[in-house]
Amino acid sequence: MNRSDETLRQALHGYSASIAASHSVPPSAAVWLRAERRKRRLAVERAERPLRIMQALGLVCAVIAAGWILAQAGSMRPLSSFGPAVLVSALASLLLVVAGCWAMVLASRRSL
Amino acid sequence: MAFSEAEFQRIYDANAGPILGYLAASTGRRDVADDLLQETFCRLLVQAKSGMAADAVRRYLFRIATNLLRDRWRSGEGRAFEEPAEAAVSADPNASIDVRAMLAHLNSRERQLLWLAYVEGMDHAEIAAATGLGRLSVRTLLFRARARAKKFLNAGGELR
Repeated sequence: MNRSDETLRQALHGYSASIAASHSVPPSAAVWLRAERRKRRLAVERAERPLRIMQALGLVCAVIAAGWILAQAGSMRPLSSFGPAVLVSALASLLLVVAGCWAMVLASRRSL
Repeated sequence: MAFSEAEFQRIYDANAGPILGYLAASTGRRDVADDLLQETFCRLLVQAKSGMAADAVRRYLFRIATNLLRDRWRSGEGRAFEEPAEAAVSADPNASIDVRAMLAHLNSRERQLLWLAYVEGMDHAEIAAATGLGRLSVRTLLFRARARAKKFLNAGGELR
């Protein structure tokens, strides 16, 4: 190590010492608590992941099933042959199923 | 198996100071260094397993800290080296070399490499492990960083 290297090393060591003298590190307990909170949050996320996947899958299935039922009903008889009360009820049921699934997905996201 | 609180306390006591110095010298900001220090140890607790050798823990901590610095730099923060007012007051008034000005003159990676080599006393292999760079890259980049630092200090008449 030549002289300028040594001077550079000493200068950086001096600066390191001034940082250490002027600034204390945060208490380890604060870092420990922060890590514990994060570990708990990650554990909850891991545990709820299958549930959220099933909820999303349920939502997709409900939409597909509703579409299929409507298509079947339409191919058997024209929609105009149903009374307005039946059509409104079918539409309301479909909306309720979709809204219910959506609410479940939202609720699970909020709980995280 | 996760770290026990006593084991973590020992690791923290041994490494928090050096990591804080590294982060403060790399970012130039004590508040950011504090935050990154906590995040570094937090990640150690969440990701690492108990029973690692002291040297391995040290290298692992510097690797996490370097990754955090890189993330910060990529997000557009921390491009400039700033020193808050209170740090300027606390600096050694008798120091013949203005290290802060020199560090501000270097880029973030150069500051990191110089710090690891000169303050932490790491060799090229250890720096490579701590920064994720190849050994040859470390050698080249460290050579350049050293040359730039010396050139800056020579220009100021501080190294002869």
